[in-house]
Amino acid sequence: MTNSYLLFRLAERLFGVRLQGAIEILPWRPSRKVPLAYSYIDGIMDYRGAVYPVFNLTQVLGITRTGQIGFASAETDDIRKGQSIILLQTGKNLYGIIVDSVVKMISLDDAPGEVTTVKGINTNLITGVRNEDGQDVILLSFERLFHAG
Amino acid sequence: MEQSTRFLILSLEGEHYAFRITSLLEITVPRGIQKDAKLSEIFEGKMNHRNKMIPVVNLKKILKLSGPPGAVLLVMQSSKGILGLLADSVIELLDSTQKPFPMPPGVVDPSLPYFAGVLKDKQGLVLLLSEDGLWP
Repeated sequence: MTNSYLLFRLAERLFGVRLQGAIEILPWRPSRKVPLAYSYIDGIMDYRGAVYPVFNLTQVLGITRTGQIGFASAETDDIRKGQSIILLQTGKNLYGIIVDSVVKMISLDDAPGEVTTVKGINTNLITGVRNEDGQDVILLSFERLFHAG
Repeated sequence: MEQSTRFLILSLEGEHYAFRITSLLEITVPRGIQKDAKLSEIFEGKMNHRNKMIPVVNLKKILKLSGPPGAVLLVMQSSKGILGLLADSVIELLDSTQKPFPMPPGVVDPSLPYFAGVLKDKQGLVLLLSEDGLWP
C-alpha cells in the first residue's frame, strides 16, 4: 500500500513525513511562547480557528547546525525568516513543524524501510531511511511527541 | 443567544494571560507585603487584605519568567482560599462567547496545573491561567 509523504529539508538533510490529513504550508511566523513548555516547543499558533503546537524540529531531533567555520550555530532570526511551518495532522492531533524548506510530495509504499541509526540525530522519531533519486530520505513519525511527560 | 464569559486579560513580560473574571475579587496595588521565611520562594510574602492576611504569589516565579515581581496585585478567590497574584499590568476585560481551547497535547507536562486553556484576543493567543492550579 502506498501513502503520500511530504519531503522537506532541515539542516541540509532530507526528511519525509507521512501525510494523514489536511496539510498547510506557511512562511515562518513567530509563535506564542508558552512558559514551562518542553524545550523543543517553539510555541503555539492560531490557524483558521484551531490552536497548533509548533515543534522546533532541530531541537526534537537533536540536530546541531554547523556555523561558518565548523562551530555549532544558533537558530537566528535570519535562519527563521527563510523557514516554513508545515501544519500536519496525526490521528486527532494537529501540529506544526518548522523546516528549512519544503521539497516535494511523493508516494511511498508502506513496506518497512531500513531502520537505522542516523549519525547526529535523535533516532526516537525515525521510522526508516529510504533512498529516493540517489538521496537518503529520513522518514519520521511525530506520534511520540504527544505522549511526552 | 450564546452566553458570553468574561475574562481579565493581564500582561507578564509583554505576553497576555487571562483569568476568569468570576474568580477576581479586587485589583489593587501591592502594599505592605511582609516577607515570611517559612513560605516557599514563589511567595513574595503575606499582605493584609481587608483585615485578613493573604499569601501573595509572584506569577513570574511560578511560570519561570524573568523580570521584577509586578506592580499590580490581583486578589483572587480560588477553591482553596483567597490569594494575591502579582502581574505587570491589567490590559482589558474580554467578553468571549467561545469556549477556551484546551492546551494542545505535547506542549507542557500534562501534570502541570497552571493552564486552563487558550483564548484569542485582538493581539493573538492568550494563555488562560487556573486560579486553583496556581495555589501552591
